Amino acid sequence: MSLRSRPGPELTDAQIEAIVADAIATEASSARAEAAPPSSAIVWWRAQMRARQEAARAVERPLTIVHGLAIACAAGLALSLIGTAVAGVRGSTGWLLGVYQSLRAALAPLSAVDFTSGWMMVPMTAVLVSLVVASLAAVFILVDE
Amino acid sequence: MADVTFLDVRRLDVEHAAADVALAMDEDAFRAFYDRTAGALWGYLSRISGDRQVADDLLQEAYYRLLKSTTAFESESHRRNYLYRIATNLVNDSRRGARPLFESGIDVTDIPAPEAHATVERRADVRRAMGLLKPRERAMLWLAYAQGSSHSEIAEVLGLKTGSIKLLLFRARRKLAGLLQREVAR
Repeated sequence: MSLRSRPGPELTDAQIEAIVADAIATEASSARAEAAPPSSAIVWWRAQMRARQEAARAVERPLTIVHGLAIACAAGLALSLIGTAVAGVRGSTGWLLGVYQSLRAALAPLSAVDFTSGWMMVPMTAVLVSLVVASLAAVFILVDE
Repeated sequence: MADVTFLDVRRLDVEHAAADVALAMDEDAFRAFYDRTAGALWGYLSRISGDRQVADDLLQEAYYRLLKSTTAFESESHRRNYLYRIATNLVNDSRRGARPLFESGIDVTDIPAPEAHATVERRADVRRAMGLLKPRERAMLWLAYAQGSSHSEIAEVLGLKTGSIKLLLFRARRKLAGLLQREVAR
């Protein structure tokens, strides 16, 4: 049954079903002729590779999260220590002054040394720079890992 | 004894995870199932999406999702229906509005030489008419008449109630027949 052979507007349900079935069957045979799916071996291999990559990513993800948490914890700890230290210094200036004076008395022989002089600033600056560089290096190593 | 670094331990973890990849079927069973179903599924994908390129892409994806599924299949037909459901959802997700297969009509070089000019025209009519259907109507008619699926199988694939399939199929048939008449009259 085809519409070219029977183009009338009034068709029974059975005729409509026959026309549709015939049309779809024609299209299905055309699709079968066109179909060129990849071989099952290739599809299986790709699926294996993809599943492995996804499994590997799933293992790596928690490590990245742990790194992030560790860095955040370290930063938080450092900030809290700095805050505590600042508060402590503010609250105990008098005590520190006493300690300083005691130390000064104890280290009287060193009083001749001028810590603000140029030759003392160089090693102190070097120590500070080393501390900063070492901290940055530690952070980069953790991030790379 | 060589030192084992943190990186070595992590690499071993990753390799261990890769070795533990478990797919839902073994290779022989999958390949046999694929060989039985891939051609028909490609036809379904190409006719529902209206795009051969999309069909190529989604075929691989559909089988991969089937392999990753944890569903326990009771039978071959249950597995096949599940595969078609995955394919249908993929087409729905990837729909971009363009329907090049339906709009371009038919390439005469696709047709074997002995076929009459009328056959080429008829195929072009069918394709254009199908392109005017809603995707769900196309899928329903294809499953019913190209795949020979039952109402319950169509319902399972399309996520509809079995009881509603009869009426929806009836409407889709009438619509396609009307569109075919219109195409023929042009």
